[in-house]
Amino acid sequence: MATAKKTTIRWPAWARKTHKWLALIIGVQALFWMLSGLYMTAVHIDIIHGDALVRPAPVLPVDPASVRDPAEILARYPAASTIKLDSQLGQPVFIIGEGKKRALVDARSGAPISPLNQAAAENRAQAIFAGPGKIVRTELLSVIPSEIKGRSAPIWRVEFAGRWRPTLYISPQTGELVAKRHDLWRMFDFVWMFHIMDYEARVDVNNLLLRVAAWMAVATSLTGAWLLLFSFRRKRRVRKPAQG
Amino acid sequence: MFLIRTLHKWFGLILGLQFLLWSISGAMMAMLDAKKVAAEDSERAPPSLAQPLSPVRLASLAQSLEAPILRARLRPLGEHYVYEIETPLDLRLFDAATGAPVTIDAARAKALAQGGYAGAGAVASVDKIDKVSGEVRGVKLPVWRVAFDDPEHTTLFVDPGTGAIHHRVNDTTRTWNLFWMIHIMDYPNGAGFNHPLIVTVATGCAWLALSGFILLFRSFRRQDFAYLLDPIDKLRGR
Repeated sequence: MATAKKTTIRWPAWARKTHKWLALIIGVQALFWMLSGLYMTAVHIDIIHGDALVRPAPVLPVDPASVRDPAEILARYPAASTIKLDSQLGQPVFIIGEGKKRALVDARSGAPISPLNQAAAENRAQAIFAGPGKIVRTELLSVIPSEIKGRSAPIWRVEFAGRWRPTLYISPQTGELVAKRHDLWRMFDFVWMFHIMDYEARVDVNNLLLRVAAWMAVATSLTGAWLLLFSFRRKRRVRKPAQG
Repeated sequence: MFLIRTLHKWFGLILGLQFLLWSISGAMMAMLDAKKVAAEDSERAPPSLAQPLSPVRLASLAQSLEAPILRARLRPLGEHYVYEIETPLDLRLFDAATGAPVTIDAARAKALAQGGYAGAGAVASVDKIDKVSGEVRGVKLPVWRVAFDDPEHTTLFVDPGTGAIHHRVNDTTRTWNLFWMIHIMDYPNGAGFNHPLIVTVATGCAWLALSGFILLFRSFRRQDFAYLLDPIDKLRGR
């Protein structure tokens, strides 16, 4: 009996069985992977980054004779390590860096400008926003929203009217653009969560769930390839009746 | 349902290999620790420098430039302060103490890399890279490549314009790069992941997954779940 059974192992049935049971477990995730991957490849990353949301603010040449000397301003902040001369809204400014802290001062008078008030933040956002829309909402956030995680608070959030809810984040300390977001970016971040299966923080690409699921996907593909070996015939034949 | 099964099998035949490559490369990237991939353990914080005592005035530096200043930075670079001056023509560095021009040549790139490196290795080679490869995907070229002789073959890339350490790689990064290249089907290096080939194949594979998902509803019989359903039925007294 034992030997008779051995000769009746039906490999096609085994291939089908393993493939369908693996697929039962991983099928929904496989679909998520494909659809999220499709979105991330089909929408160009430059569009996702919102490159078209802003236009470079005109940078005006600065006559160093008309501004305070950078070193002189830097010396006023003993713990600071960097100073940058730039222009904002057509005026020369210094941005002083001290670790993660920043300060903005008028480069002509040396008077502090930071922290920016609402009007100053809106003016800067409006100056670089490339769309036709007007500002619909401005708020000073003291808690960093997940769409700009890793940035420092407080931060001005300036939302404009227009397609995909374009939003610019302006630092009250430097007056500079910190991040630009719109719904295409938010959608990317959402599908990325499905892609890396970190359904909480959307950052951990080494989580155990992903590792297990990814290897199950490998097994599903391999058993699928195995099943392919039995799935094509040269011509239709009557199936042999199973023996035993 | 027969049509779905036929389509699933033909899509599997044509696109199955890429589906397999995506799952293997994805699984391998999930296995490689992101911190190791970023070569984080080789990072050394820059030394804290005292502010420059008597730096040259920006106005006197401006006289040696052929173009007006757009932006200027006074910042540490390695163990000295420099002015980084941006004009419509280019970006230049000057020693903040002497006003002398600073160029990021091989020797300075090597010193800057050593300053930002925390490992036990010594510099094995310094080269200027001007061709795209897996190590310098999406990086503005040329760039200085400073390789160390530690077991992980840690390598730092130094921006020849600003002297900043642009990024760092090690053997784990290189392994990851290989799987990333396969994952985004970026065989001619540098095309990124938004090319027509990958979108086409991803559309086909999305259908492969969807048709497979639909087939699940027809592939199981009550008998497949008998071990689960029989006891439940018994409890219900059927």
